[in-house]
Amino acid sequence: MRYGMVIDLKKCIGCTGCALVCKTENATPPGILWLRVVKQESGKYPQVRRVSVPLQCMHCAEPPCLEVCPTGATFQHPNGIVDIDAEQCVGCRYCMMACPYDQRFFLSAERTYFPGHTTPFEQAGYQRHQAGVVSKCNFCTPRLNRGLEPACVANCMSRARTFGDLDEPNSEVSKLIRDRGGYQLYPELGTNPSIYYLPP
Amino acid sequence: MARTEPFQIRIADLRERYRPQREWAEGRGLLLILAHFLTGSGAGAWLFAVPLGSDPGLVIGFFLAALGAVGHLLFLGRPERFWRMATRMGSSWISRGLVGLSLFLVTAFIYLVLLFVAEHKTTLGAILLALSVLGALWTIIYKGFVWASSKGIPLWNTPLVPALYIAYALRGGAAVLILLAGLGTQLGAVEPLEPIKLWLAVSTAVLVLIYLEVMRGSGMTALRSVNLLLFGKVALPFYVGAVLFGLIVPIGIGSFAYFDHVPSGLLALVGLLSLLGDLSIIYCIARAGLYRPLPA
Repeated sequence: MRYGMVIDLKKCIGCTGCALVCKTENATPPGILWLRVVKQESGKYPQVRRVSVPLQCMHCAEPPCLEVCPTGATFQHPNGIVDIDAEQCVGCRYCMMACPYDQRFFLSAERTYFPGHTTPFEQAGYQRHQAGVVSKCNFCTPRLNRGLEPACVANCMSRARTFGDLDEPNSEVSKLIRDRGGYQLYPELGTNPSIYYLPP
Repeated sequence: MARTEPFQIRIADLRERYRPQREWAEGRGLLLILAHFLTGSGAGAWLFAVPLGSDPGLVIGFFLAALGAVGHLLFLGRPERFWRMATRMGSSWISRGLVGLSLFLVTAFIYLVLLFVAEHKTTLGAILLALSVLGALWTIIYKGFVWASSKGIPLWNTPLVPALYIAYALRGGAAVLILLAGLGTQLGAVEPLEPIKLWLAVSTAVLVLIYLEVMRGSGMTALRSVNLLLFGKVALPFYVGAVLFGLIVPIGIGSFAYFDHVPSGLLALVGLLSLLGDLSIIYCIARAGLYRPLPA
């Protein structure tokens, strides 16, 4: 089994709802963006096109971040999800240099959204985050363990995201990749990302 | 005026098509650069001091490497967990480096204790010296591979980087001994170092040229990084530090020393400038590192 995601760029309207729900679900501190949406413009007036491209950890099948991690803090679940054990991370940030998708974030010090004040939400959520270690998207593993989809998938208003098993040929993700020409970012690097994009 | 927080800079970077890496070059990242420079020069000085029979060279080499190790520790987000870094020797160059550096520091320290406090011309002394040389070699070699195995930064992701780092660590070691000789320290025979240093300075100059030329043709991101080095915000430390101090002065005065006697003060200046040049090139290569554009 290998969990993966397909993002339909034709359906994505760039509302950044996925980025917001990611922040809410994971209570990530300021400056930590496990998911972000990049607006890409192409063409020349009047033939112009603007596409919104959501970016997050690609959960590569051959993750370079895992290879370089000196402590084993970065590990891969049997279902293919690349995760970080914060208790083992020493904060060397080697994984940040190895990730070709720049999807890892280092929390140098504890930060709050309101100076000198921590909201009850932050008090509860920040217990999951340590200062001095690296963090990133984990496909909402706690939600998956409860039988739920990742928050970004469940909350996408245009249903641009599909989550499923890439190893299962008849899964919805496999069919979409096959039928709609799903592509990965930088496949030439040999990382085999688990996030596929459908062309706009 | 309110200070810009690092995370605000990071968010601003995410809007850029070519995002600079800052973690290994700014703030506490400067400690990492300093640590790589100090451990490289220290291990290099040890390697030259052993055949030259230079006790001050051995002491300063060990001291520099130990200082570099402290820099490495202070750079970590969680230094108290540093011992965990030795657990992934099979795949991580940082793990390999920690083991090599530890081997060097531990064996070098015991050897120095034997040298100054007890008898070092024993079998134990010979074994410790051999292990320390192995550790020093290991320390010099692993550094470049740490940078070169970083797939995220195309400027570093080339086999030329380890070659460059090995060359710079060796010339750093030679520069330390030349600086000591220039300051009047009794080193023994320092003369053999002068042609070696000149040769190392010329070969690193050639290596830097080859590196820049190869990276110019290694894709848009690497080309952007090279442009940052040559014409962008990293150009000043590159031309003044790496090129003038690190290459032109050592090659110029080194060539002069080949034919005539050089005053000890000038010798010390060459050593010092050469070391500044070594530090500059590590800083410049780190600072010019850019991530690939996303989306592709």
